[in-house]
Amino acid sequence: MKGKYHIVVQNNRLRYELTVRRNITIIRGDSATGKTTLINLIEQASALGENSGVDVVCERPCRILSGNDWNLILPYLHGQIIFLDEENQFIKSQEFAAAVKASDNYFVLVTREDLPNLPYSVEEIYGIHTSGKYHDLRRTYNEMYRIYSPDLFTGKVKPDTIVVEDSNSGYEFFRAVCLEHNINCLSAKGKSNLKQAVPSSGEQILVVADGAAIGSEMNELYQMMKTNVRMKCYLPESFEWLILKSGQIDGKVVQNILEQPEDYIDSQKYFSWERFFTAILMENTQNSYLKYSKSKLNEAYLQGKMKQAVLDVMEGICWGKEEEKDRTLLKGL
Amino acid sequence: MLKIIFGEASGGVYHPPTYFDNRYEDEWITDPLSVKMIKEIDHSDVISVHLIQSPVLGAIPVRDISGGVKTLILMAFDKSGKIFNASVCGDNCARWIAELGRQKDLTINLHHVMDFSEVAEFEALIVNTGKTVHSYEEYLNEALTIKER
Repeated sequence: MKGKYHIVVQNNRLRYELTVRRNITIIRGDSATGKTTLINLIEQASALGENSGVDVVCERPCRILSGNDWNLILPYLHGQIIFLDEENQFIKSQEFAAAVKASDNYFVLVTREDLPNLPYSVEEIYGIHTSGKYHDLRRTYNEMYRIYSPDLFTGKVKPDTIVVEDSNSGYEFFRAVCLEHNINCLSAKGKSNLKQAVPSSGEQILVVADGAAIGSEMNELYQMMKTNVRMKCYLPESFEWLILKSGQIDGKVVQNILEQPEDYIDSQKYFSWERFFTAILMENTQNSYLKYSKSKLNEAYLQGKMKQAVLDVMEGICWGKEEEKDRTLLKGL
Repeated sequence: MLKIIFGEASGGVYHPPTYFDNRYEDEWITDPLSVKMIKEIDHSDVISVHLIQSPVLGAIPVRDISGGVKTLILMAFDKSGKIFNASVCGDNCARWIAELGRQKDLTINLHHVMDFSEVAEFEALIVNTGKTVHSYEEYLNEALTIKER
Protein backbone atom coordinates (compact mmCIF):
# COMPACT_ATOMS: atom_id res chain seq x y z
CA MET A 1 0.00 0.00 0.00
CA LYS A 2 1.24 3.52 -0.81
CA GLY A 3 0.09 7.02 -0.05
CA LYS A 4 -1.09 9.35 2.68
CA TYR A 5 -4.58 8.98 4.17
CA HIS A 6 -6.54 11.45 6.20
CA ILE A 7 -9.01 9.85 8.61
CA VAL A 8 -11.93 11.56 10.33
CA VAL A 9 -13.85 9.64 13.00
CA GLN A 10 -16.78 11.35 14.64
CA ASN A 11 -20.07 11.08 16.43
CA ASN A 12 -22.21 13.73 18.08
CA ARG A 13 -19.79 14.34 20.93
CA LEU A 14 -16.33 13.58 19.57
CA ARG A 15 -14.32 14.22 16.46
CA TYR A 16 -10.90 12.74 15.79
CA GLU A 17 -8.62 13.60 12.89
CA LEU A 18 -5.41 11.84 11.98
CA THR A 19 -3.23 11.30 8.95
CA VAL A 20 -1.25 8.13 8.27
CA ARG A 21 1.47 7.91 5.64
CA ARG A 22 3.54 4.87 6.53
CA ASN A 23 2.83 1.22 7.22
CA ILE A 24 3.17 1.67 11.00
CA THR A 25 1.78 4.52 13.10
CA ILE A 26 1.94 4.48 16.91
CA ILE A 27 -0.46 6.27 19.27
CA ARG A 28 0.57 6.60 22.91
CA GLY A 29 0.81 9.38 25.49
CA ASP A 30 -1.00 10.26 28.68
CA SER A 31 -3.95 8.33 30.08
CA ALA A 32 -7.45 9.73 29.51
CA THR A 33 -6.71 11.35 26.16
CA GLY A 34 -9.25 9.25 24.27
CA LYS A 35 -7.19 6.49 22.63
CA THR A 36 -9.52 3.65 23.61
CA THR A 37 -12.57 5.75 22.75
CA LEU A 38 -11.16 6.25 19.24
CA ILE A 39 -10.68 2.49 18.88
CA ASN A 40 -14.20 1.81 20.14
CA LEU A 41 -15.72 4.24 17.63
CA ILE A 42 -13.84 2.62 14.73
CA GLU A 43 -14.90 -0.82 15.94
CA GLN A 44 -18.57 0.23 16.06
CA ALA A 45 -18.41 1.82 12.61
CA SER A 46 -16.62 -1.21 11.19
CA ALA A 47 -19.22 -3.61 12.62
CA LEU A 48 -22.42 -1.68 11.95
CA GLY A 49 -21.56 0.80 9.22
CA GLU A 50 -23.63 3.97 9.16
CA ASN A 51 -26.18 2.39 11.49
CA SER A 52 -23.59 2.73 14.24
CA GLY A 53 -24.03 6.50 14.20
CA VAL A 54 -20.28 6.87 13.81
CA ASP A 55 -18.88 8.56 10.71
CA VAL A 56 -15.52 7.31 9.50
CA VAL A 57 -14.32 9.31 6.53
CA CYS A 58 -11.29 7.89 4.74
CA GLU A 59 -10.32 6.78 1.24
CA ARG A 60 -9.47 3.36 2.67
CA PRO A 61 -11.55 1.05 4.89
CA CYS A 62 -10.64 1.39 8.57
CA ARG A 63 -11.11 -1.54 10.94
CA ILE A 64 -10.01 -3.11 14.20
CA LEU A 65 -7.93 -6.26 14.58
CA SER A 66 -7.94 -8.03 17.94
CA GLY A 67 -8.16 -11.38 19.65
CA ASN A 68 -6.39 -14.69 19.37
CA ASP A 69 -7.50 -15.34 15.80
CA TRP A 70 -5.86 -12.19 14.42
CA ASN A 71 -3.50 -14.31 12.32
CA LEU A 72 -6.42 -16.04 10.62
CA ILE A 73 -8.11 -12.75 9.71
CA LEU A 74 -5.14 -10.62 8.63
CA PRO A 75 -4.26 -12.58 5.45
CA TYR A 76 -7.74 -11.72 4.12
CA LEU A 77 -7.35 -7.97 4.61
CA HIS A 78 -5.86 -5.85 1.83
CA GLY A 79 -5.45 -2.12 1.32
CA GLN A 80 -7.01 -1.27 4.69
CA ILE A 81 -6.02 0.80 7.70
CA ILE A 82 -6.01 -1.54 10.67
CA PHE A 83 -6.19 -0.28 14.25
CA LEU A 84 -5.03 -2.35 17.23
CA ASP A 85 -5.63 -1.43 20.88
CA GLU A 86 -3.12 -1.99 23.68
CA GLU A 87 -4.81 -5.13 25.01
CA ASN A 88 -3.33 -7.17 22.15
CA GLN A 89 -0.15 -8.66 23.57
CA PHE A 90 0.62 -10.37 20.26
CA ILE A 91 1.78 -7.07 18.74
CA LYS A 92 5.18 -7.62 20.37
CA SER A 93 5.61 -11.07 18.79
CA GLN A 94 7.90 -11.91 15.92
CA GLU A 95 4.91 -13.55 14.23
CA PHE A 96 3.03 -10.26 14.17
CA ALA A 97 6.10 -8.38 12.88
CA ALA A 98 6.43 -10.90 10.05
CA ALA A 99 2.72 -10.52 9.25
CA VAL A 100 3.02 -6.70 9.12
CA LYS A 101 6.05 -7.00 6.85
CA ALA A 102 4.16 -9.23 4.41
CA SER A 103 0.96 -7.18 4.58
CA ASP A 104 -0.32 -4.59 2.12
CA ASN A 105 -2.23 -2.77 4.88
CA TYR A 106 -1.30 0.17 7.10
CA PHE A 107 -1.33 -0.40 10.88
CA VAL A 108 -2.15 2.03 13.68
CA LEU A 109 -1.04 0.61 17.03
CA VAL A 110 -2.15 2.00 20.38
CA THR A 111 0.69 0.99 22.68
CA ARG A 112 3.49 2.18 24.94
CA GLU A 113 5.52 -0.94 24.21
CA ASP A 114 8.76 -0.23 22.36
CA LEU A 115 8.17 -3.02 19.79
CA PRO A 116 11.78 -3.53 18.62
CA ASN A 117 10.58 -6.06 16.02
CA LEU A 118 8.80 -3.30 14.12
CA PRO A 119 10.81 -0.60 12.25
CA TYR A 120 8.63 2.47 12.81
CA SER A 121 9.62 6.08 12.34
CA VAL A 122 10.26 8.71 15.00
CA GLU A 123 7.90 10.88 12.93
CA GLU A 124 4.97 8.51 13.28
CA ILE A 125 4.66 8.36 17.07
CA TYR A 126 1.67 10.43 18.14
CA GLY A 127 -0.28 11.49 21.14
CA ILE A 128 -3.85 12.80 21.14
CA HIS A 129 -4.77 16.21 22.41
CA THR A 130 -8.05 18.00 22.64
CA SER A 131 -7.94 21.23 20.74
CA GLY A 132 -11.32 22.47 21.85
CA LYS A 133 -14.96 22.31 21.01
CA TYR A 134 -16.03 21.98 17.41
CA HIS A 135 -18.54 24.23 15.67
CA ASP A 136 -21.65 23.71 17.80
CA LEU A 137 -19.71 23.61 21.10
CA ARG A 138 -21.07 20.15 21.89
CA ARG A 139 -18.46 18.18 20.00
CA THR A 140 -14.91 17.90 21.31
CA TYR A 141 -12.23 18.03 18.65
CA ASN A 142 -9.22 15.73 19.07
CA GLU A 143 -6.15 15.72 16.89
CA MET A 144 -2.78 14.03 16.84
CA TYR A 145 0.51 15.63 17.72
CA ARG A 146 3.98 14.27 17.18
CA ILE A 147 5.37 13.19 20.56
CA TYR A 148 8.96 13.67 19.38
CA SER A 149 8.48 16.96 17.59
CA PRO A 150 11.24 18.34 15.32
CA ASP A 151 11.89 21.08 17.92
CA LEU A 152 13.49 18.45 20.16
CA PHE A 153 16.21 17.85 17.62
CA THR A 154 16.94 21.37 16.39
CA GLY A 155 19.44 23.85 17.72
CA LYS A 156 23.17 24.15 17.20
CA VAL A 157 25.41 21.31 18.37
CA LYS A 158 29.18 21.12 18.39
CA PRO A 159 29.79 17.47 19.27
CA ASP A 160 32.84 16.09 21.06
CA THR A 161 31.66 12.55 20.28
CA ILE A 162 29.34 11.21 17.61
CA VAL A 163 27.64 7.85 18.12
CA VAL A 164 26.49 6.43 14.79
CA GLU A 165 23.88 3.67 14.64
CA ASP A 166 25.38 2.30 11.44
CA SER A 167 28.48 0.12 11.21
CA ASN A 168 29.04 0.21 7.46
CA SER A 169 29.00 3.04 4.90
CA GLY A 170 27.31 5.56 7.16
CA TYR A 171 29.82 4.97 9.93
CA GLU A 172 32.74 5.13 7.49
CA PHE A 173 31.51 8.51 6.25
CA PHE A 174 31.14 10.02 9.72
CA ARG A 175 34.38 8.47 10.95
CA ALA A 176 36.27 10.21 8.12
CA VAL A 177 34.53 13.55 8.77
CA CYS A 178 35.14 13.27 12.51
CA LEU A 179 38.80 12.46 11.98
CA GLU A 180 39.23 15.71 10.05
CA HIS A 181 37.63 17.73 12.83
CA ASN A 182 39.14 15.95 15.81
CA ILE A 183 35.77 14.53 16.91
CA ASN A 184 35.49 11.11 18.50
CA CYS A 185 33.33 8.74 16.42
CA LEU A 186 31.77 5.49 17.68
CA SER A 187 29.64 2.90 15.94
CA ALA A 188 26.82 1.41 18.00
CA LYS A 189 26.55 -1.46 15.48
CA GLY A 190 22.77 -1.36 15.47
CA LYS A 191 19.95 0.73 16.91
CA SER A 192 19.38 -1.53 19.92
CA ASN A 193 22.98 -0.88 21.07
CA LEU A 194 22.73 2.93 20.91
CA LYS A 195 21.91 3.42 24.59
CA GLN A 196 24.87 1.37 25.76
CA ALA A 197 27.20 3.00 23.22
CA VAL A 198 26.58 6.55 24.51
CA PRO A 199 29.51 7.50 26.75
CA SER A 200 28.65 8.63 30.27
CA SER A 201 31.27 11.40 30.29
CA GLY A 202 30.25 15.04 30.42
CA GLU A 203 31.16 15.76 26.81
CA GLN A 204 28.75 16.93 24.11
CA ILE A 205 27.38 13.79 22.46
CA LEU A 206 25.49 13.57 19.19
CA VAL A 207 23.62 10.38 18.33
CA VAL A 208 23.08 9.93 14.58
CA ALA A 209 20.54 7.27 13.73
CA ASP A 210 18.02 6.34 11.03
CA GLY A 211 14.85 8.21 11.96
CA ALA A 212 12.84 5.97 9.62
CA ALA A 213 13.22 2.98 11.96
CA ILE A 214 14.36 4.38 15.31
CA GLY A 215 10.87 4.49 16.84
CA SER A 216 11.38 1.54 19.16
CA GLU A 217 14.35 3.27 20.83
CA MET A 218 12.84 6.72 21.18
CA ASN A 219 11.21 6.44 24.60
CA GLU A 220 14.52 5.51 26.21
CA LEU A 221 16.71 7.83 24.10
CA TYR A 222 14.38 10.72 24.93
CA GLN A 223 14.61 10.02 28.64
CA MET A 224 18.40 9.86 28.34
CA MET A 225 18.32 13.28 26.66
CA LYS A 226 16.20 14.61 29.54
CA THR A 227 18.75 13.51 32.12
CA ASN A 228 21.80 14.49 30.05
CA VAL A 229 21.43 17.94 28.51
CA ARG A 230 24.72 17.44 26.65
CA MET A 231 23.27 14.57 24.61
CA LYS A 232 21.44 15.33 21.36
CA CYS A 233 19.99 13.19 18.61
CA TYR A 234 20.11 13.83 14.89
CA LEU A 235 17.61 11.57 13.13
CA PRO A 236 17.45 11.90 9.33
CA GLU A 237 15.44 9.21 7.56
CA SER A 238 18.73 7.41 6.92
CA PHE A 239 22.31 8.01 5.75
CA GLU A 240 21.22 7.22 2.19
CA TRP A 241 18.45 9.83 2.50
CA LEU A 242 21.11 12.42 3.43
CA ILE A 243 23.01 11.61 0.23
CA LEU A 244 19.86 11.82 -1.89
CA LYS A 245 18.84 15.05 -0.16
CA SER A 246 22.24 16.60 -0.88
CA GLY A 247 21.16 17.16 -4.49
CA GLN A 248 24.34 15.57 -5.83
CA ILE A 249 22.56 12.57 -7.28
CA ASP A 250 21.23 13.36 -10.75
CA GLY A 251 17.62 13.10 -11.60
CA LYS A 252 14.53 15.19 -11.08
CA VAL A 253 12.74 11.97 -10.19
CA VAL A 254 14.81 11.59 -7.02
CA GLN A 255 13.90 15.07 -5.84
CA ASN A 256 10.22 14.45 -6.60
CA ILE A 257 10.37 11.27 -4.54
CA LEU A 258 11.91 13.10 -1.60
CA GLU A 259 9.08 15.65 -1.69
CA GLN A 260 6.44 12.98 -1.01
CA PRO A 261 8.05 9.57 -0.41
CA GLU A 262 4.76 8.03 0.71
CA ASP A 263 3.46 8.21 -2.86
CA TYR A 264 6.32 6.00 -4.08
CA ILE A 265 7.06 3.57 -1.24
CA ASP A 266 5.12 0.32 -1.37
CA SER A 267 4.82 -0.82 2.25
CA GLN A 268 4.70 -4.46 1.23
CA LYS A 269 8.00 -4.17 -0.65
CA TYR A 270 9.79 -1.96 1.87
CA PHE A 271 9.24 -2.71 5.57
CA SER A 272 10.55 0.76 6.38
CA TRP A 273 11.49 3.80 4.38
CA GLU A 274 15.26 3.59 4.83
CA ARG A 275 15.30 0.38 2.79
CA PHE A 276 13.61 2.24 -0.05
CA PHE A 277 16.08 5.14 0.10
CA THR A 278 18.98 2.66 -0.05
CA ALA A 279 17.38 0.97 -3.06
CA ILE A 280 16.87 4.19 -5.05
CA LEU A 281 20.36 5.46 -4.19
CA MET A 282 21.86 2.21 -5.48
CA GLU A 283 19.64 2.28 -8.55
CA ASN A 284 20.48 5.90 -9.41
CA THR A 285 24.24 5.53 -8.98
CA GLN A 286 24.85 2.04 -10.37
CA ASN A 287 26.52 3.21 -13.57
CA SER A 288 28.39 6.19 -12.20
CA TYR A 289 31.54 6.95 -10.21
CA LEU A 290 29.20 7.40 -7.19
CA LYS A 291 28.10 3.75 -7.29
CA TYR A 292 26.76 3.17 -3.80
CA SER A 293 27.23 0.11 -1.64
CA LYS A 294 25.81 -0.11 1.87
CA SER A 295 28.49 -2.50 3.09
CA LYS A 296 31.51 -0.39 2.09
CA LEU A 297 31.63 3.33 1.42
CA ASN A 298 32.65 4.40 -2.06
CA GLU A 299 35.57 6.83 -1.56
CA ALA A 300 33.88 9.27 -3.95
CA TYR A 301 31.46 10.22 -1.14
CA LEU A 302 34.39 11.57 0.86
CA GLN A 303 35.56 13.95 -1.87
CA GLY A 304 35.22 17.72 -1.42
CA LYS A 305 31.95 18.88 -2.99
CA MET A 306 30.10 15.61 -2.44
CA LYS A 307 31.04 15.33 1.22
CA GLN A 308 30.25 18.98 1.92
CA ALA A 309 26.84 18.71 0.25
CA VAL A 310 25.92 15.87 2.60
CA LEU A 311 27.15 17.79 5.65
CA ASP A 312 25.20 20.87 4.52
CA VAL A 313 21.98 18.84 4.75
CA MET A 314 22.71 18.31 8.45
CA GLU A 315 21.66 21.75 9.66
CA GLY A 316 22.65 22.84 13.14
CA ILE A 317 25.69 20.59 13.49
CA CYS A 318 28.93 22.49 13.87
CA TRP A 319 31.83 20.47 12.51
CA GLY A 320 34.46 23.04 13.50
CA LYS A 321 34.45 25.03 10.25
CA GLU A 322 33.57 28.23 12.06
CA GLU A 323 36.68 27.91 14.18
CA GLU A 324 38.79 27.28 11.09
CA LYS A 325 37.32 30.38 9.46
CA ASP A 326 38.06 32.38 12.61
CA ARG A 327 41.65 31.17 12.60
CA THR A 328 42.03 32.12 8.90
CA LEU A 329 40.70 35.59 9.60
CA LEU A 330 43.09 36.01 12.52
CA LYS A 331 46.01 34.95 10.30
CA GLY A 332 44.87 37.54 7.74
CA LEU A 333 45.04 40.23 10.40
CA MET B 1 7.65 0.22 48.80
CA LEU B 2 7.27 0.26 45.02
CA LYS B 3 8.71 -2.83 43.33
CA ILE B 4 9.11 -2.91 39.55
CA ILE B 5 9.40 -5.99 37.36
CA PHE B 6 10.46 -5.29 33.78
CA GLY B 7 9.20 -7.81 31.23
CA GLU B 8 6.92 -10.76 31.85
CA ALA B 9 5.91 -11.37 35.46
CA SER B 10 4.41 -14.48 36.99
CA GLY B 11 0.84 -13.59 37.95
CA GLY B 12 0.98 -10.53 35.73
CA VAL B 13 -2.16 -9.05 34.18
CA TYR B 14 -1.23 -7.64 30.78
CA HIS B 15 -4.40 -5.59 30.29
CA PRO B 16 -5.65 -4.46 33.70
CA PRO B 17 -8.58 -2.38 32.33
CA THR B 18 -10.34 -5.58 31.18
CA TYR B 19 -9.66 -7.24 34.54
CA PHE B 20 -11.02 -4.13 36.27
CA ASP B 21 -14.27 -4.18 34.27
CA ASN B 22 -14.99 -7.69 35.48
CA ARG B 23 -13.68 -7.50 39.04
CA TYR B 24 -14.05 -4.00 40.47
CA GLU B 25 -16.06 -3.46 43.66
CA ASP B 26 -18.53 -0.58 43.94
CA GLU B 27 -16.98 0.74 47.14
CA TRP B 28 -13.61 1.21 45.41
CA ILE B 29 -15.13 3.87 43.16
CA THR B 30 -16.39 6.15 45.91
CA ASP B 31 -13.32 5.79 48.12
CA PRO B 32 -11.73 9.26 48.50
CA LEU B 33 -8.49 7.97 46.94
CA SER B 34 -10.27 6.83 43.75
CA VAL B 35 -12.31 10.04 43.64
CA LYS B 36 -9.06 12.01 43.74
CA MET B 37 -7.33 9.89 41.08
CA ILE B 38 -10.34 10.01 38.75
CA LYS B 39 -10.46 13.78 39.17
CA GLU B 40 -6.76 14.29 38.50
CA ILE B 41 -6.23 11.84 35.63
CA ASP B 42 -9.62 11.86 33.89
CA HIS B 43 -10.74 15.35 35.01
CA SER B 44 -14.01 13.64 35.92
CA ASP B 45 -16.23 13.67 39.00
CA VAL B 46 -17.56 10.61 40.79
CA ILE B 47 -21.29 11.18 41.19
CA SER B 48 -22.15 7.74 42.59
CA VAL B 49 -20.89 4.17 42.52
CA HIS B 50 -22.37 3.80 39.04
CA LEU B 51 -22.01 7.26 37.56
CA ILE B 52 -19.08 9.45 36.56
CA GLN B 53 -19.41 12.93 35.10
CA SER B 54 -16.84 13.43 32.32
CA PRO B 55 -16.18 16.90 30.85
CA VAL B 56 -15.89 15.34 27.38
CA LEU B 57 -18.30 12.40 27.33
CA GLY B 58 -20.93 13.64 29.78
CA ALA B 59 -22.40 11.16 32.26
CA ILE B 60 -20.63 7.82 31.82
CA PRO B 61 -20.59 4.42 33.54
CA VAL B 62 -17.56 3.30 35.52
CA ARG B 63 -16.51 1.09 32.60
CA ASP B 64 -15.76 4.22 30.56
CA ILE B 65 -13.14 5.76 32.85
CA SER B 66 -9.62 5.65 31.44
CA GLY B 67 -7.53 2.49 31.40
CA GLY B 68 -4.84 4.31 33.35
CA VAL B 69 -7.17 5.18 36.23
CA LYS B 70 -8.69 1.67 36.24
CA THR B 71 -5.18 0.28 36.68
CA LEU B 72 -4.38 2.73 39.49
CA ILE B 73 -7.57 1.71 41.32
CA LEU B 74 -6.62 -1.96 40.99
CA MET B 75 -3.16 -1.19 42.36
CA ALA B 76 -4.77 0.57 45.30
CA PHE B 77 -7.58 -1.85 46.21
CA ASP B 78 -7.26 -5.27 44.56
CA LYS B 79 -6.33 -8.00 47.03
CA SER B 80 -5.92 -10.88 44.55
CA GLY B 81 -2.14 -10.72 44.54
CA LYS B 82 -2.10 -10.07 40.79
CA ILE B 83 0.67 -7.90 39.36
CA PHE B 84 -0.71 -5.22 37.08
CA ASN B 85 0.94 -3.99 33.91
CA ALA B 86 1.61 -0.29 34.48
CA SER B 87 2.51 0.18 30.82
CA VAL B 88 -1.19 0.79 30.19
CA CYS B 89 -0.78 3.91 32.34
CA GLY B 90 0.43 7.14 30.81
CA ASP B 91 3.18 9.20 32.36
CA ASN B 92 0.46 11.32 33.99
CA CYS B 93 -0.17 8.30 36.27
CA ALA B 94 3.49 8.05 37.39
CA ARG B 95 3.03 10.32 40.39
CA TRP B 96 0.15 8.17 41.66
CA ILE B 97 2.03 4.91 41.19
CA ALA B 98 4.90 6.31 43.25
CA GLU B 99 2.45 7.56 45.87
CA LEU B 100 0.71 4.16 46.14
CA GLY B 101 4.16 2.58 46.50
CA ARG B 102 4.87 4.87 49.45
CA GLN B 103 1.61 3.86 51.15
CA LYS B 104 2.00 0.10 50.78
CA ASP B 105 4.06 -2.68 49.26
CA LEU B 106 3.15 -2.46 45.60
CA THR B 107 4.63 -4.63 42.85
CA ILE B 108 4.02 -3.48 39.29
CA ASN B 109 4.99 -4.80 35.92
CA LEU B 110 6.43 -2.62 33.14
CA HIS B 111 6.85 -3.44 29.47
CA HIS B 112 8.47 -0.07 28.75
CA VAL B 113 10.56 2.38 30.75
CA MET B 114 7.96 4.59 32.36
CA ASP B 115 8.95 8.21 32.80
CA PHE B 116 9.05 8.99 36.54
CA SER B 117 10.95 12.25 36.03
CA GLU B 118 8.10 14.34 37.43
CA VAL B 119 8.08 12.40 40.72
CA ALA B 120 9.88 14.13 43.57
CA GLU B 121 11.80 11.74 45.85
CA PHE B 122 11.34 8.64 43.72
CA GLU B 123 12.31 5.30 45.28
CA ALA B 124 11.77 1.75 44.01
CA LEU B 125 13.18 -1.75 44.08
CA ILE B 126 14.02 -3.04 40.62
CA VAL B 127 13.17 -6.71 41.06
CA ASN B 128 15.09 -7.86 37.95
CA THR B 129 18.41 -6.74 39.42
CA GLY B 130 17.57 -6.54 43.14
CA LYS B 131 18.76 -2.94 43.26
CA THR B 132 16.94 -0.20 45.14
CA VAL B 133 17.04 3.12 43.31
CA HIS B 134 16.63 6.44 45.13
CA SER B 135 16.07 8.86 42.26
CA TYR B 136 14.69 9.00 38.73
CA GLU B 137 18.23 9.13 37.30
CA GLU B 138 19.23 5.98 39.20
CA TYR B 139 16.03 4.28 38.06
CA LEU B 140 16.66 5.17 34.41
CA ASN B 141 20.28 4.00 34.50
CA GLU B 142 19.23 0.72 36.11
CA ALA B 143 16.32 0.17 33.72
CA LEU B 144 18.63 0.64 30.73
CA THR B 145 20.81 -2.24 31.91
CA ILE B 146 17.83 -4.63 31.77
CA LYS B 147 16.93 -6.31 28.49
CA GLU B 148 13.49 -7.58 29.49
CA ARG B 149 10.55 -5.42 28.46
